[in-house]
Amino acid sequence: MNRVEPQDWPEKSRELAQLLSKAGLGDRAAFARLYERSSGHLLAVVLRIQRDRAQAEDLLQEIYVSVWKAAASFDAARSQPLTWMTHIARNRAIDSLRRAQAQPRMESTTRNEDDDRPDANESLADEGPGPLDLLGLASQKRQLSACMERLTPPQRQSVALAFFDGLSHAEVAAQLREPLGTVKSWVRRALNTLKGCLDRAAVRDTEGAV
Amino acid sequence: MDYGRPTLADALAAQYVAGTLRGAARRRFETLLPSHPALQGAVREWQSRLMPLTGALPAETPSPAVWRAIQTRLWPAPAVQPWWQGLGLWRALSGVAMVAVVGMAVFVNNPAPPQAPVVVVLQSTGTALPDGAGAPGTVVASFSADGRALVAVPLTKVALQTDRVLELWWAQAEGPPKSLGLIKADGTTVLPPGRLPGGLRGSGIDHMAVSVEPPGGSPTGQPTGPVVFYGKLQL
Repeated sequence: MNRVEPQDWPEKSRELAQLLSKAGLGDRAAFARLYERSSGHLLAVVLRIQRDRAQAEDLLQEIYVSVWKAAASFDAARSQPLTWMTHIARNRAIDSLRRAQAQPRMESTTRNEDDDRPDANESLADEGPGPLDLLGLASQKRQLSACMERLTPPQRQSVALAFFDGLSHAEVAAQLREPLGTVKSWVRRALNTLKGCLDRAAVRDTEGAV
Repeated sequence: MDYGRPTLADALAAQYVAGTLRGAARRRFETLLPSHPALQGAVREWQSRLMPLTGALPAETPSPAVWRAIQTRLWPAPAVQPWWQGLGLWRALSGVAMVAVVGMAVFVNNPAPPQAPVVVVLQSTGTALPDGAGAPGTVVASFSADGRALVAVPLTKVALQTDRVLELWWAQAEGPPKSLGLIKADGTTVLPPGRLPGGLRGSGIDHMAVSVEPPGGSPTGQPTGPVVFYGKLQL
């Protein structure tokens, strides 16, 4: 399964919107297709935050149970399906950290190798992009690079750690060895600075989706 | 806090969607969300801004067990059908000469019912019908485990004269048979419950039979026509 290229987001969303609305009417086959087309992405999102694969897959189950139950209430005029489902997935993953009382992760931003995945490609992926790389890649694909330039490196790093890996302010602060208050303001300012650029990217999505 | 203030709503929504709003604050925010349209709007906007960034992630294929588990959770009984509709399966038994009670767990695809139904196979007695033809095959009667619900079906259509019907009877080892009701010659009949007082075990049922009767069933309360199917129970 390939990644969802950011520029494909609106297009993929169009297809998923149909499946989701059919699922909302109780169409199981459409839901199965929705799962097939989106589960690889949602698991990737969850795994960044909840790195225990068994737990991540349990969460994925809960996520799709929620998606099925909420499918009828999905409003295609207001949200893109992939955006909507990704938010559900991230929410569950973040909540699972709370439930598990997870200790702050002190590992480096590249993945550690204590996973036991057999597949060579997957273990490659394991050492794959850190949060900062992901932010870079995403901003490149979404024509946000110029926008990212307006962030200071620590702002970029803290927002990437928080967003992609689901780290709390405190965890980001621990990892960067910076005071909590400083990190909080980095994240806040980074989001503020990005807001306008991200809006323009979202508008491009919408125009692309029409 | 005044969540109606646009800047505050926006800042909170940003932290919520980015994931940095945690703990009690996150829970409070989620509790408030359904009743605050301004917050909902801000959340939707931040979702549109941030979620597409996750498109940079390489996909991770879940194990097949995940989809199976989702299906099991959403649709615990994939084949929603009354318990007797497994009759198709029972037809496979029609060639088996069996005059006995078979406790069958035929619903292997479904979550097991608390107790399997009891199936009684009534064999042809070989008695000629009034028109001279025999009634070949078998009649299957199936009791729910509690003995209250009863379904009967001839496995092959019984060729009856148009003014004749089939009536199903039950009896104790000794004593007159009692009617369970009329059954279709060519399909499934769901019999009214309560015809077997005390249920399957409490009734002392010993055997069942099918007789040929005039329209409306036996006028006397006892079989008047030939008994064409018979099955003994061994509980």
